[in-house]
Amino acid sequence: MALLEVENLHIAVSVGGVLQPVVRGISFTVDDNETLGIVGESGCGKSMTSLAIMGLLEGTPVRITDGSIRYDGTELLQLSSKQRRAIMGNRMAMIFQEPMTSLNPVYRIGDQIIESLRQHKSISKKAARARAIELLDLVRIPNPSERVDSFPHQMSGGQRQRVMIAMALSCDPKLLIADEPTTALDVTVQKEVLELMSDLQERTGTAIIIISHDLGVIAETCDKVSVMYRGKIVEAGTTENLFERLAHPYTRGLLNSIPVVDHDVEWLEAIPGRVPTLGEELSGCAFHPRCPIATGLCIAKTPGDTYIAGNHAVKCHYADQVAS
Amino acid sequence: MSVLKLMPSALAGRKLATIGFLWLVLVLLAAVFAGVIAPFDPLELDPVNRLAEPGWPHLFGTDHFGRDTFSRALYGARMTVIIGVGSVVVALLSGGLIGMLSAYFTKLGHFLMRGVDVLMAFPALLMALVLITLLERSVANTIIVIGIVYATTTARILYGMTLKLKNEVFVDAAVCSGASHRSILFRHILPNLISPLLVQASFIFAFAQLQAAALDFLGLGLPPEVPSWGNMLSEERIYLTRAPWLLLYPGLLIILSVFSMNLVGDALRDNIDPRFKDDISGV
Amino acid sequence: MTEAILSIRDLKTHFQTQAAGFLGEKKVIKAVDGVSFDIAPGEVLSLVGESGCGKSTVGRTLTHLEKSTAGQALFDGQDILTLSPAQFRPLRRDIQMIFQDPFASLNPRLTIEQTLGEPLFIHGLAKNWAEARVLIAETLDLVGMAPEVMTRHPHEFSGGQRQRIGIARVMILKPKLVIADEAVSALDVSIQAQVLNLIKKLQRDSGISMLFISHDLGVVRHISDRVAVMYQGEIVEMGTKHEIFENPQHAYTRKLLSAIPRIKTRQVNA
Repeated sequence: MALLEVENLHIAVSVGGVLQPVVRGISFTVDDNETLGIVGESGCGKSMTSLAIMGLLEGTPVRITDGSIRYDGTELLQLSSKQRRAIMGNRMAMIFQEPMTSLNPVYRIGDQIIESLRQHKSISKKAARARAIELLDLVRIPNPSERVDSFPHQMSGGQRQRVMIAMALSCDPKLLIADEPTTALDVTVQKEVLELMSDLQERTGTAIIIISHDLGVIAETCDKVSVMYRGKIVEAGTTENLFERLAHPYTRGLLNSIPVVDHDVEWLEAIPGRVPTLGEELSGCAFHPRCPIATGLCIAKTPGDTYIAGNHAVKCHYADQVAS
Repeated sequence: MSVLKLMPSALAGRKLATIGFLWLVLVLLAAVFAGVIAPFDPLELDPVNRLAEPGWPHLFGTDHFGRDTFSRALYGARMTVIIGVGSVVVALLSGGLIGMLSAYFTKLGHFLMRGVDVLMAFPALLMALVLITLLERSVANTIIVIGIVYATTTARILYGMTLKLKNEVFVDAAVCSGASHRSILFRHILPNLISPLLVQASFIFAFAQLQAAALDFLGLGLPPEVPSWGNMLSEERIYLTRAPWLLLYPGLLIILSVFSMNLVGDALRDNIDPRFKDDISGV
Repeated sequence: MTEAILSIRDLKTHFQTQAAGFLGEKKVIKAVDGVSFDIAPGEVLSLVGESGCGKSTVGRTLTHLEKSTAGQALFDGQDILTLSPAQFRPLRRDIQMIFQDPFASLNPRLTIEQTLGEPLFIHGLAKNWAEARVLIAETLDLVGMAPEVMTRHPHEFSGGQRQRIGIARVMILKPKLVIADEAVSALDVSIQAQVLNLIKKLQRDSGISMLFISHDLGVVRHISDRVAVMYQGEIVEMGTKHEIFENPQHAYTRKLLSAIPRIKTRQVNA
């Protein structure tokens, strides 16, 4: 049994009273000491998935319509939000994309960490402050005993994201979900933040889910990868297996779309067409309108999983062909 | 165009605002067709029938000159609409222009907006009182005075919104295309201000009613012979104990109309571009 | 090298910040602090650097969206920085800008036709709507969009389509110099590749000179002839694409290049 098991998760958003599917039956697991990367383009459902796991969909027009999310064997979807908070309170934490809007600008960062600490543990203010300084040191903020009294606007974007990580870590979570944690950051800062996260994992054994649109970030930091397209995981496997033999035309197209720094490419092999919009109905494989090798079969029949090597699963009728 | 397009979505799912909107439609119909509906001439004196109780043929009773209160209330609706629309036009044209130009031309803005700030330091009613004492009592002057009072808040609000729009990328893009100041202001910025302006208009309309009623009540608004809800309140206030309906009807009409206008304004505000939500508030 | 179409010498753009609090002092931010470069006709020069390095300010200064503090920018031999707004207006036809955010750069209230027609009338390239529509249709075709979209509003289009429309607004004037400020950064990866290919193709076909501003080194390598690396308002290294990417000299350039996450995979470009 893995730490987190998501099975056949369906999520829909209500638009004018009509439920439009966003996530269409995805399954994955993450275990201690493991980093899972979920990659996809806008609207593929990756962020909805993370919010669903965190139980943050309440009060939004988004509904979980089917499936199960189990943490340590406990079915989360059957808990009331109160029970959920009691059980889950400090076992899961999330880091968001924009560190500025996630921090309250009128409070010192130290006070924000202290508050988050004291919400989850009964410790004295003094002990909490000491722990806050420790945490800031852990995320490599220079001069933590001074910086603890800074306001968010006095820090750079990278430092704020590190403060967010410190806050996420304040309750010693067993699972950390990072939704586009470095998208708003410069590459040099991104590198530092990603290194920090894997360092912390080595030390604490936390399970991490990184959600990103950047295949490079995922490839460099994750043990496992799930590629999402229009609400489905179209290709999943260990990072090594997957990038060794990309077997879905979408993943392949995505990779070919990225201009690389290490050699020249005259023209990028772009995926034609556009990212499907919410509510657009597509028969068979949702990627068929943009796929270079689509056939009548792809329009008629939704592909199931084809296994390439070990647990490298691909939803494509022609996976074997693409892989070879 | 955009006004009519905005209403249905703004009112969807809001029962109270819909009732308010229907009430305003009713007031508008009364104003337009007052001449047709009214059973009596609102100015016709009937000393025999002074202070008649509500009943037939005087639905709302008669006042101390024996004039039919129902007919006067209908013509009062006409005044309400005229004053409301007039004040909105004056306030939005003068205040809107000052606000937009001040935000767009920063140097001019420093000068103009300081003036607006000074004017805003006076309470609305006090300012109206000062202005009205300089002018004769007439419908036009009442409109001008109320319009100027609310021009200041309109200028402030549009100033803020134009500042935001001025920094939009599409305005930069228009500048890079070589667009003139006039084109940027009126073709690129103004159309994006239509829906917040509409919200602003609905609030001004509501407050203009209160302001006009207050001026009438103080005997400084419309000439006394003009049938308006405020004048009705003012003239009949001494009969409060003998004929309370004379105050009840105009009072209720004012309250209902102002309340409805505010409800509709709130509904419109909740439905507009979230970018401007913070800028607009009750006047 | 032939005569440069744009020649910038010691460009400085400084900003005064608002005083912080009542007693705070006004600070001067030296966004661009002594930048010099040339762009030859038909050449693509990229300005690359991290946020706050001043690369966007260079572009905005050249299009008069910001005021320069000092320096010279010779365009076709004329210093454009000293021109008054009225004197600069006719030159805007030749110096065009592509903006980053396709959702913010199109006026939501105008139809595509109105957006694309405006520059034509401003610069006298069309006398009436009939003439304008012919040019608009041609340009839409150039950026891969059907002429039927003319009557629609921006919100009916995806990010990639909007950016194509933004590029059409620039190309319709047949400019000599295009400044592209993070022109593909806001797009999804698969769409970014399409738009990047489109920009490259349009540039090649028309021989336009381009100042391509970006933080993405991969994108920069793909599109540029030469690259200038900016750091804190200054250019720290400038050279041909191959000099910068294969033999970087400055420590900062090396740091940037090494920070990019790389995907280890078998070659799939087949």
